[in-house]
Amino acid sequence: MMDVATKSLTGQGIALSFGGIEVLKGLDVEFRAGEITGLIGPNGAGKTSLFNCLTGAYHPQKGAISYAGHSLEGLPPAARAQKGIVRSFQHVALSPDLTVLENVMIGVARNYHSGWLHAFLPTVRGRHEKAEMRADAERALAELGLAKAADKMPSELPPGMLRLVEIARAIVGRPAVLMLDEPAAGLNNSETRDLMRSLSALASPDLVMVVVEHDMDLVMSICDRIYVLNFGAFVACGTPAEVRSNEEVVRIYLGSDDD
Amino acid sequence: MNDVLRDLFPLAWSGMITGCLYALGAMGLVMIFKSSRVVNFSHGNVAGFAAFLIYGFSSGVLLDLSWGAAVLLTIVAVVAIACLTYAVIAPLVFDSDLTATIATLGIGLIAQGATLLIFGADIVSLDLPIPRFSTSVLGLRITGYDLTVLGVAIVTIGALFFVIDYTKLGIAFRAISENSFAAEVCGLNLRSIHLFSWVVAAVLGVVGALLIVPTTFLSVTTVAAFMLQAFAAAVIGGFASLPGSLIGGILIGVLMNLFTFYVSPQFSSTFLLCIILLALNIFPNGILARVGGSRV
Amino acid sequence: MSDHPVTIKAVHPPLPERLRELVASDLGSYVLAVVLIVLPLLVSGSWMFAIGVCFANAIGVLAVSFLVRYGGEVSIGHAFFAAVGAYSVAILDTRFGLSLLVSVPLALVLGVVTGVAFAWPSRKLSGIYLAVSTMALALAVPELINNTDALTGGYEGLYVSKPLIPGLPMSFQRYYVALAVLIAVVFALARFRHSRQGLTILLSKAHPAAADAFGTRQVWARCAVLGISGGIAALCGAMLAFAGSTVSPSGFTLWSSIFLLVGSVVSFYGLTLARALIGGAFLTLVPQFLSASGAWIPVFYGLALLGMILLGHYLPRLKEMMARHGGTA
Ligand SMILES: Nc1ncnc2c1ncn2[C@@H]1O[C@H](COP(=O)(O)OP(=O)(O)OP(=O)(O)O)[C@@H](O)[C@H]1O
Ligand SMILES: [Mg+2]
Repeated sequence: MMDVATKSLTGQGIALSFGGIEVLKGLDVEFRAGEITGLIGPNGAGKTSLFNCLTGAYHPQKGAISYAGHSLEGLPPAARAQKGIVRSFQHVALSPDLTVLENVMIGVARNYHSGWLHAFLPTVRGRHEKAEMRADAERALAELGLAKAADKMPSELPPGMLRLVEIARAIVGRPAVLMLDEPAAGLNNSETRDLMRSLSALASPDLVMVVVEHDMDLVMSICDRIYVLNFGAFVACGTPAEVRSNEEVVRIYLGSDDD
Repeated sequence: MNDVLRDLFPLAWSGMITGCLYALGAMGLVMIFKSSRVVNFSHGNVAGFAAFLIYGFSSGVLLDLSWGAAVLLTIVAVVAIACLTYAVIAPLVFDSDLTATIATLGIGLIAQGATLLIFGADIVSLDLPIPRFSTSVLGLRITGYDLTVLGVAIVTIGALFFVIDYTKLGIAFRAISENSFAAEVCGLNLRSIHLFSWVVAAVLGVVGALLIVPTTFLSVTTVAAFMLQAFAAAVIGGFASLPGSLIGGILIGVLMNLFTFYVSPQFSSTFLLCIILLALNIFPNGILARVGGSRV
Repeated sequence: MSDHPVTIKAVHPPLPERLRELVASDLGSYVLAVVLIVLPLLVSGSWMFAIGVCFANAIGVLAVSFLVRYGGEVSIGHAFFAAVGAYSVAILDTRFGLSLLVSVPLALVLGVVTGVAFAWPSRKLSGIYLAVSTMALALAVPELINNTDALTGGYEGLYVSKPLIPGLPMSFQRYYVALAVLIAVVFALARFRHSRQGLTILLSKAHPAAADAFGTRQVWARCAVLGISGGIAALCGAMLAFAGSTVSPSGFTLWSSIFLLVGSVVSFYGLTLARALIGGAFLTLVPQFLSASGAWIPVFYGLALLGMILLGHYLPRLKEMMARHGGTA
């Protein structure tokens, strides 16, 4: 129990505003390892902004963020990535110049450290490293059922597939914290079901997984805990059953979503 | 100490005068940038070509006109060149501003080559009908040239601001430089306003080139070199602000004057490089910039 | 997991397709390289000299194209880095009697260092703003050279005469050394495209925030791209000095920088041997053909630049139109 608690990603009093508009109003969160946490809320609630604060893309005016007991204060996104804190993007952010496989290989790049010489010359170590990255990426693609798309360019794939590629890039490097921003947007029903299965399979005692999603079926069925965000503040937090029966949540979110 | 002060004022004064001309050049660059997001690298070469045209029309090389007629004819020619340039670049502008910017380098090369082809690589002297007198005010020597430059600059800049603030075209120009998409949705014709800014810029370039020539002589590179200071002025002003480029121009004029006098006349371009890098880093959006965040 | 080996097999394109790819990319380069290696047996000495300079310019074109491809940035200041390389070679040759064995590595290192040194203060700039500051960089070159004439020879320049391999005819050395460096650069860049650094830099170009989230800082990417590009440009300068035998400030003006960009645009920013040679030939051979009337050179370059840009703009549209017509007919 102790072990699990120390591996969590926590934020205390995270407050973020843009030019006087309060986007996040002092949020306290604890995303625990071994759980899949859902983060839901209407459009503009601040879900992506919270991700951005946690990964270091935004600088909250107030609040403390720590992972496994260590403060992430002042660490740029790249340094947080080095600690295994990884995310996917709501708006697909793949390089159009790279094949799908190469895009996914970038997800493991942070685990390799060969120098510049290996980048320019056909050295044994460089080739070895590339082969390993390739194998990792192929495995991640296969897990999401994308093996056939490996050598395609992103421009040749439909948006739903690109989102899966984006997820493959996030999971390929064996992250410690995995934050997925609307992973199922643009997927059809069967693709969403496959994705749910893959995400559930990914859960492990050491992994902190957070999923922002508008698809309630997905959130309710795979998440262990759910945070509900509205106008930059949490209105509820608990198990799917608790959240589903929370009147406030039903009113502001589920109610409007169902009809 | 006294010596330093005695030199300082005349240097600052003459720096300010040239600075006004840099500002005229810079404003042309900024006009085009504001409306179409293109940096017009052909500005200097086209203005240089224009200065040569005035020389050619008034000296008998091409025609033997009176000075005023030569200027008028040149302005007509330059406006035509501006329209032609924009016609070539227009399809690119909506595609990628960087590509369009590279294309202006091509226009600049052509203008440079045309100047060489028509007028050769020799140095010529182009005299302007400027009142020749000088008085001394508080120990400062003020010449007719100084007053002419100041007068022309004030009138031109005043006219420019009047046009932008009060005419229909000017208001449309402001709308487009704030938000071209919204402006287009509101039914403004982007192309005609782009063209307006290109034409105004070309005329500003001619005025600036014409006034800078009396301080030196006229060669293929004079005006292009002068426009480089205008570039620096525009950069300091944030490249998207007309008042900013006025301040930038005067700042560059004075700083360059002080630097060449007190430090070294040989390293003025290096000094310019340092100013540009410094300005771009301290004020990435110019001195008069507003701050804003970027989204992920 | 059980279908793992199967999927890997499916990932590779079938053999004929791969053969075709090979012909299109690598094999083409190999054939071209062999042709260039035997070419001196067929052409006269003055042509050999011109082609040697063309190789040097091709390296410079690669430097600019690399910046466009990997950084998404345009430079009109690469003559600065070329000057760094050229004067490394020329000064070590004339003042210290050192051969290319020492001066080329030094040129490379200095090119990378100055590239990074420029990248750092300009790290927040992009697009047209970066282009303007590279322009300022190019402007400073001639006066820096002229005012350090004790070292650089000022206006008159320096003559590079020390052979790499003593005893071999100098004309052959000028040709083959430039060719060897060009091929080495093309080869290294081809490796780089598939390297870890190459991939992350390409992501950083398209989506800096995404690259950042996966451990590649934007500043690092910028410094890396400009460092590499500066290094290649310095090699171009070094080869211009060696293959062209003289260096002088008139070879490193703002116009030289703009010409490098013209070469890069004309070669469609290609990083292959053939593309680089197209750009290099354009820079070297056009002035040679037009040498009778120098004023036509800028006109021709300007027209070529505009022509290629407009071609690049309209060609995809034309193709699309043709495809649509073909589809309906
Ligand atoms: N860089 C920024 N500058 C200004 N305002 C911003 C910025 N980023 C986010 N916001 C604002 O913060 C609020 C929350 O945005 P955010 O993208 O976090 O919402 P979200 O919950 O992810 O919504 P969605 O479900 O639509 O993705 C919005 O009102 C948005 O306009
Ligand atoms: Mg969002």
